[in-house]
Amino acid sequence: MNQGSITTPRERDVETWDGKVTLRVRVAGDGPPLLYLHAANGLMWDPFLTALAERYTVYAPEFPGTTSGDPYAIHQIDSLWDAVLIYEHMLRELDLAGIPMIGQSFGGMLAAELAAAYPTLFSHVVLLDPIGLWRDDAPVANWISASFPDLVAMLFHDPTRPAVQDLLAMPEEPAAHAAAQAAMVWNLGATGKLCWPIPDRGLNKRLHRVTAPTLIIWGEHDALIPVRYAEDFHRHIADSQVKIVPDAGHVPQVEQPETTHRLVTDFLV
Amino acid sequence: MKVTYFQQVPYRHLPSDFQHHHESVVTTPYHQLTEPDLVHHAYRDAFAEMAHAARAGFDAIAITEHGQSCYDMAPNPNLIAAAAANTTEAEGLTTAIYPLGRSLGKSREPLRVAEELAMLDAVSGGRLIAGFPVGLAYDANINNGVPPAETRLRFDENLELVLKAWRARDPFAWNGRFHQYPAVNIWPRPLQDPHPPVFITGIGNPRTMEFCLDRGFGFNYFGWFGAKVTGRRIFDRFWEIADRLGKDANPYRMGFMQTICVADTDAKAEKLFAEHAEYFFQKAIGSIPMERLALPGGIDIKGLEFLFRDPGDFGIYAKMREATFAELVDAGSVVCGSPATVREQITEFAREFRIGNLHTMLQFGSMPTALAKDNISLFAEEVLPTLRELWSEAGWAHHWWPERLGGTPIDTTRTADEAVIA
Repeated sequence: MNQGSITTPRERDVETWDGKVTLRVRVAGDGPPLLYLHAANGLMWDPFLTALAERYTVYAPEFPGTTSGDPYAIHQIDSLWDAVLIYEHMLRELDLAGIPMIGQSFGGMLAAELAAAYPTLFSHVVLLDPIGLWRDDAPVANWISASFPDLVAMLFHDPTRPAVQDLLAMPEEPAAHAAAQAAMVWNLGATGKLCWPIPDRGLNKRLHRVTAPTLIIWGEHDALIPVRYAEDFHRHIADSQVKIVPDAGHVPQVEQPETTHRLVTDFLV
Repeated sequence: MKVTYFQQVPYRHLPSDFQHHHESVVTTPYHQLTEPDLVHHAYRDAFAEMAHAARAGFDAIAITEHGQSCYDMAPNPNLIAAAAANTTEAEGLTTAIYPLGRSLGKSREPLRVAEELAMLDAVSGGRLIAGFPVGLAYDANINNGVPPAETRLRFDENLELVLKAWRARDPFAWNGRFHQYPAVNIWPRPLQDPHPPVFITGIGNPRTMEFCLDRGFGFNYFGWFGAKVTGRRIFDRFWEIADRLGKDANPYRMGFMQTICVADTDAKAEKLFAEHAEYFFQKAIGSIPMERLALPGGIDIKGLEFLFRDPGDFGIYAKMREATFAELVDAGSVVCGSPATVREQITEFAREFRIGNLHTMLQFGSMPTALAKDNISLFAEEVLPTLRELWSEAGWAHHWWPERLGGTPIDTTRTADEAVIA
């Protein structure tokens, strides 16, 4: 894909929270609108989003605190409720309603919370290995206190895959390398504010409010959130279905991009 | 210089190959590695060593807080401080009581912290010094479940609440981000007026240093990472910031914790203490993996960029798990030798870096209590008198020490400089 093509994201800043939080939204594509909510490490524009942008106009907001140059925005958010209201305001500012929404991991939890709070705002919901529930018999792994090698092992079934290596690549220049490491660590801290140490912040009581048709996708070998959580989300959401992606860990759209893309687009059509 | 005796309550009998079989000293399985009687004795020994030091003439008894750890079984230092306060009061010892102390980034009951400390001040008759660490990641976040991104914000709010609860003449309502109270009116209030002196412990973050200087709090730095390696960075940074903020270079602003062992000769000191120093650094501080010391969200993003570019503030931490006694001495993690050696090294170091308060860790790791008491006695007889003279010529007032013990404490709503002028 060439630079400047329609699938290259552009930036749009949306002021919310009485001027205290500006959400940076990456927008790409010229099809019908679709909302994408990123995982805990911040927004990475990967081939999955590029492929979606060929069919949709992808709106991908950056969670407050994860936007480069604006790290302290996270201090404006005290609770999940604050975040849900900020995202709802953003959607109104962008004039988006009745649209499909995809959320990955942390973004999956946020998507589920939004769809539970505002059931009529979304036409479809896709949850990719979402966080947000807790089982004592299958605890979510502690991604915040994991060493980097342990974190990689939690996220990917086969970290040697080229797509994974591309994702993990860091700039070589020392200052840029340090800044990239710092940003990743900071982003995990910012998003962790809403889901750590125990990611169950009451979503299990609210999930039943999700009325949009929902697709729950899970990597079969997810070592961060065990695949059995897929059934828990399914049980709470009436109009939902589960698809397990074989040979994939916590991020199926990176390890099995074609399968995941096909599952998503077939569901949204 | 003020010289405090620094006490922890380690479990002293971990197996010799502990660090090769266990990920850390803060995730240690309890029943597998402990014997109840040895746990009991860890407390008896620590209390006896503390009393021994108070009787030997140390200026203060300093105690740290660590939850869920085998290297310091002190989940609430105020419990130990209470015993120290009462023992010294009963014996007429004018020793400051110095919890180094309750982590305010961790505490979900900040008013309880204010009350406990006020009580200690009342029990000790106004001899309390209050240390407030922000909180180590494994303790504040993992042990206590505070999201790392909240640690600093909680610390900031809790510190203001504690200070206000101490000073307020009338009951007040508190509407904070983390805590709400309809009527704060603690009993007792501290005896000290305006309030007990306050020190904040830091690891080198310039923001914490600025905060201490700006508000007139003392600053504590612990030298476990090897102060011969990190000192030039940490202390110079502190005094540069003081200069930039227009604060005086009063050495009493600075507290420094040093692990020390002293015997008749250098050779004897090494023979007696080397194995215990290696035990402590390999099985305690060295056995806390970085991902438990620094969690995402707990360190400011600017601090992260700095640390990733230049990890020098961590000294010899990375190799501490395998560090030999010689390496520990080279780095300054431990100062060991004859009284003359120890006097010389500490005097030079303290003068160089303008350290006005020295916290001496004289029991560490597996050191048995008899040897710890010898270390305490010899240090008190042969080293302490010389160190105490340091800075006495310079005429600085100690604004971070209780008035009853010769200090001239300040109200931290004003700066130290203003207080001097007033």
